[in-house]
Amino acid sequence: MATANSWNQRLSNFLQSPSQFLTCTTTDSFLTDLLHELRDDKANDNTKILLLSVLLEHPNVLCPTVSVGEETVQDLMSILTHAPQKSVSLKCHLMLTITNVLVCTSCFTSKAKVAEDFLDLLFQTIQDTNDHRGGSAHYPVRATACDCLREIETCYPGLLSQKLEALYQFKQQETTVLHQSYCLLFTLGLKNAIRHLAQQKDVADTDLKNLLTGNEGLAWKCIDTQLSIMFPFNLMNQVPQLQTGGDCKELRSIMTLLLEESYLLTPVSQASLLRELVEIVAMVPALSPAIFKSQLLRLFGTGEVELLHVTLFMKGAFTDSLFSAEDENFFLKRLVGMAQHPLLTIPEKLFYMRCILHFPENRPISSHGEECLPVLVTPRLAASLLPTVFNDSNTMLCRLNLLCLVHLEADEGEEGKGLGYLFDHVIALLKIVDNHGNREMTVTSFKAVFIFLMHFYHMEKYSEKLISKVCELYSKNCCLAPHLINLVDRIQESLEDSVWASQLFKALQKSIVEVSLSQLTLQNLSWHLKILGRVAKENKIPQRNTLYFLLNVLLNSSLCERGSWQVGNAILAVCRNLLKHPTLNQVFIELADLLQYMSAHYEDTDIQDHARFYYTLLTNLSWEKLSGVLAKGADGGQAKIRSLSAIMAESDGLTNCLTIHQTDQPVLQLVKIQNQESQKSTTSATKLEDVEKQGALEFYQEQFLTPGFASEVTLQYILTYTEVNDSLFDRIFSICLHFDLKDSNYAEVSDICVPCLFRDRKPPEVCLKLKPRLPYPTTVNVRAVFTTEDGLSWHTQLPDVTVSFPEVFLPLPLPPGTSHVLKQDVFDHLWNAMSSGESNCAATSLFCFQIGDSSLNDLIKSHFESYLISEQLEQNGCKVLFFLPPKFHVLLKIEQAEDSIQVNIATDNWELLPHVNAYLLNITALSNMTPSHI
Amino acid sequence: MSVRALWIISHDKGEAGTVRFSRRYATVEHRAKLLAGTHYVAVPEDRAIPQLLLTELGLVEPDKPYVAMRDDCARQQHSPAVELRVDGPGGRTLWPVLTITQGKLILACLPLVEAPLEPRPPLPSLASVSHGLALLSGLQGFLCGPAGKLPEPEVLASRLAALPSVLLRICPLGTPLDKAPQSGVTPAPVAPSPGGTQKQPAWKAGLHRGRAVVSVALTEMVRSMQYGNRSRQDLWDVYGTVTCKCEVEGVLPNVTVTLTLPPNGSPLQDILVHPCVTSLDASMLTASSIDDSDGSAFSGPYKFPFSPPLESFRLCSYTSQVPVPPILGSYQLKGEENQLKLNVGLKLHESVKNSFEYCEAHLPFFNRNQMGNVDVKVSSGQLEVSKEKNLLVWIIGQKFPKSREVTLDGTVHFSGQLPGPTDPLCTDLTAYIKLYFRVPDLTLSGCCVDQHSVQVYSSAKSKIVTSRELVSSEYYIWNSTGDAPVSSGLLML
Repeated sequence: MATANSWNQRLSNFLQSPSQFLTCTTTDSFLTDLLHELRDDKANDNTKILLLSVLLEHPNVLCPTVSVGEETVQDLMSILTHAPQKSVSLKCHLMLTITNVLVCTSCFTSKAKVAEDFLDLLFQTIQDTNDHRGGSAHYPVRATACDCLREIETCYPGLLSQKLEALYQFKQQETTVLHQSYCLLFTLGLKNAIRHLAQQKDVADTDLKNLLTGNEGLAWKCIDTQLSIMFPFNLMNQVPQLQTGGDCKELRSIMTLLLEESYLLTPVSQASLLRELVEIVAMVPALSPAIFKSQLLRLFGTGEVELLHVTLFMKGAFTDSLFSAEDENFFLKRLVGMAQHPLLTIPEKLFYMRCILHFPENRPISSHGEECLPVLVTPRLAASLLPTVFNDSNTMLCRLNLLCLVHLEADEGEEGKGLGYLFDHVIALLKIVDNHGNREMTVTSFKAVFIFLMHFYHMEKYSEKLISKVCELYSKNCCLAPHLINLVDRIQESLEDSVWASQLFKALQKSIVEVSLSQLTLQNLSWHLKILGRVAKENKIPQRNTLYFLLNVLLNSSLCERGSWQVGNAILAVCRNLLKHPTLNQVFIELADLLQYMSAHYEDTDIQDHARFYYTLLTNLSWEKLSGVLAKGADGGQAKIRSLSAIMAESDGLTNCLTIHQTDQPVLQLVKIQNQESQKSTTSATKLEDVEKQGALEFYQEQFLTPGFASEVTLQYILTYTEVNDSLFDRIFSICLHFDLKDSNYAEVSDICVPCLFRDRKPPEVCLKLKPRLPYPTTVNVRAVFTTEDGLSWHTQLPDVTVSFPEVFLPLPLPPGTSHVLKQDVFDHLWNAMSSGESNCAATSLFCFQIGDSSLNDLIKSHFESYLISEQLEQNGCKVLFFLPPKFHVLLKIEQAEDSIQVNIATDNWELLPHVNAYLLNITALSNMTPSHI
Repeated sequence: MSVRALWIISHDKGEAGTVRFSRRYATVEHRAKLLAGTHYVAVPEDRAIPQLLLTELGLVEPDKPYVAMRDDCARQQHSPAVELRVDGPGGRTLWPVLTITQGKLILACLPLVEAPLEPRPPLPSLASVSHGLALLSGLQGFLCGPAGKLPEPEVLASRLAALPSVLLRICPLGTPLDKAPQSGVTPAPVAPSPGGTQKQPAWKAGLHRGRAVVSVALTEMVRSMQYGNRSRQDLWDVYGTVTCKCEVEGVLPNVTVTLTLPPNGSPLQDILVHPCVTSLDASMLTASSIDDSDGSAFSGPYKFPFSPPLESFRLCSYTSQVPVPPILGSYQLKGEENQLKLNVGLKLHESVKNSFEYCEAHLPFFNRNQMGNVDVKVSSGQLEVSKEKNLLVWIIGQKFPKSREVTLDGTVHFSGQLPGPTDPLCTDLTAYIKLYFRVPDLTLSGCCVDQHSVQVYSSAKSKIVTSRELVSSEYYIWNSTGDAPVSSGLLML
């Protein structure tokens, strides 16, 4: 059916977005196609591996239930057992896929037979140590089998806990490169088994011994172990301790051997192995951490990030029982050195800087988990990590953050040299911005200023200098206004008592109002207005100068004559904030003058109107009322949301003008009206006589020449409230419903307007008219915009509306009252045409199920009644026709056979068959019958 | 120790990124769901990933000077991990996503968090993070090679196509087992294991048969920042790497390489060794560049016993403080209207062998118009003006003259019509000379690998090849009449 190339395209579409892909097909049919192609002997291995990747990466999408998972695994297992010996890579991928499907569809937890079979197969595979049977070509298969078992044991810790003896033997026997896989598998099994043992209450000395010599079946009792109680040891949680009095001789010798052989593992696997061993020693008090001593030097000298990381893990686990004070000092120095080593990559160095901040000290002062500087990190030790302008942004910011902590901790005071260096560095960055550094540099510099201030805002010498530097920078680069506003916003959020922010604003206000008109460009003015608008929100800053500046600009420039709406709007935005300012009475006259002047002289009607409106508000309302009116919509902490009466800021687009609030949760929903048969007919005005005159078929076919004939499906819903009960929405008006289709199978749906919805009245009905291009099931995303009683506009997301396959069914589109004889005539013609095999798209199929006599009638009545072609139930069955807009048909002949009901299906679009199948399965399952496929 | 997903994304300036390769590990995702409980955040579909990632890396909408989502100053990236805001601002985030950027290519992976997600655990407490970093840097090496440059598009495409089979070997189920091989090398076929009891190392896929050859190459890079100014102390340092390729028979053959320093040589610092080194002397690791080195420190010989893998590998690396820079330079600029008077002197230190493979000085000029008339004389070598007319290239050649000093004098007029390149650091008289040179058979630290000190414990006699070289890296001489940026805080304190 599909060539390798078309599969390539389909699979890459799927991987890019499974949800989008599945709007055009069902998971069921896609999975069937996949498995069919996998069983095809003619397809080559590479194609099959590609097909498996879909199942490998998205098993839950394709196998939504345990039973589908089981069936799929059964199919894959049979493909695996029948795969030719030489298809090594395919076999590996099959094993990986089966593991993924089994784990993700919970086949293990339900202890499905296939899961047990697969585990048996894996065990058989790994028993062939050193390839006595399979030969060396078999290597990858064995390696994969080990990996699969290791992953299963990771997902279900303890499952292999009764097989440690066998696993140990395999590990010992294997001498090829695969011993790594066996070694990792055994160690993981051992750790999990000990963890289980340690969690038990009364542990006898022999229990541990039994564990190591156990060679029984799988420990299915462990399958329900919660993964989270197996969290690896870390600073935040405590490991359970195995309380045994025994000397653990066997365990100790196993551990020693594992450590000795660790050198033969790849560095990445060494790190994994060491982590497991550290956890074991941490759980078994009878084992001394000193067994790691011999490895330490090798680990200290390594340049591999994962090995150094595991050393850090050891340090955290054993502190001074493994690391002396000298070791600790050395280790920390080593970390600092590596955080700036010229031969390591940037991400590694950044990681080491994080490690310094979370260094597990032998004698920690603060609590665990927080970022905290080890006492040993002094300004002197960290000097090599001082940031420079040559660092990349990430490194520079990380270093700055670290060094700020170092110098804050060192408490050198304002005169400290290190602190001076850091400050000079921040100033150097601002200078680069001043010299037109690129965008990244600008962002980095403001981040650096933020970091510096977060640590040293209390040092007046620096914070004051920084204010003058930033002001200077702004006066030369006004386009930095949004960065500055962002900086101040964040500083105010983080440091509530900081006076720095308002000092900066004061300084900025001063520098702006002092600009002479001759130097002022329109572009700079709009940035200045942005800053002044934000300054006007600061309750403690006097606003008189701002007003004088604005008045000066308006009176003495050509601004009013030019009448730029945007500039006018920006000025009004400042005014709006001034109206809310607590010192409004001090600038009352000036503001009134300004508004009056604008309303009279500004060459833009809209601006004039708004200015007049504000003027009216100002002169008629007390300040309390005024700020109450203007603050409306800003409650609930959403300071950025303004009500409709607000004036948009200069930079906002027109869409923002209609400020719309967002509901936290859906407040509305569409509920399907179940009984809606009468609505479904696609009425036609033609007279019945025409039908009889012309002949039914010809008449029927001619109808389709009329554009738009029978192309719509009308679905009825009521618009009602969800369970969210907010009295704010008890009465809502002008509800506009907007529909977004999630696929291209349907034409765009136009918006629907509903005048109002009251909680205490009958909910209104909504007709959704869908025009299918291809009549597949679909999901429609619904949004609504509405107005509440207080005049605010709201936007809410409604729960998705799903349109199921049968909802798209229409009865045969013939005029009402057409006789059954004529309908039968059309049916038979269509049936013959579809089953003739002339059309490529047409197809026939058969569906069987078992049922009692009476319930067949019930079934037909409840599901097919409006689609019946024959007037009454014929003796042995009936004919059913579903018309699917725009021009498709599904015809059913339902017949009572000896022991089952047979449904013969014919359609003019074979792609509908999976949906028909799913539909029939669904309705027959609902009636509690047992379907069977042919 | 597992990763949930892996992506390789390419992005061109101004364009949305595309996912070139991705891999999701379903069982790891299954574990992530169980471990995180109510805090679980699913991995978005591939089509959504580039936009989310590029936003965090500050690469979306490059033409807009300020984008709130991208440029918030309080959003300090807790590098090397970023968080993806999958639900938009204020919503839930996917953390920790590790990234490596290589030109237009972004490699990213999402390590599994095996700890309670609230409060957010520190990055170093998660085992998966270093495994993720190792996985990414391995893949970077596989795709781009050791030079760290993006290959041609076709080569990259073929290497990307080979990734599934590489991952089958090194990370089949989300838990990395090994690093990816370097630059598209497909793994060597596995040789049959000898029947003995010696286990074959997992990092050595086969056995060498034939003549034994051991090559040891020592490369030293020298960096320098020279200011010619009393207020700014000049800086220089050296770092070296020893690269080996050993073709020796046996499962675990023993080889020892010894590095020696001349008498009074300053000790090698910050030594990092390859995991195949079997034992280390504690005293070798004590010297560190962040300490004051005292004279009593261990100064060799540095013995590295190891059992080599089949491929070429970096046996060890070090840094070193050397007493003098190999080339001492002075650079003076005097500015007049649209022209600069140049005065440059370079002096080769007497201890350095006067035999270069190449030696060039580059004098770039930023924030000025293109060069017009160039009236400059050099005492030795040739002078070229770049095609773009913003760079003087002074080719000194293979040898300095007997005096070991070369000079450049003259005037450059910036009378061209077109503006040259800009640089926010090099404004006014802030300018630099960058030196490029390579001296074969020399190390600045004096460190060397004697051919006779390489021991191979094997029955057959082996051929030993050793080499060494000195290469410049970030070698800057700043104009002493300008305001040069500080390059290290070390000496300020």
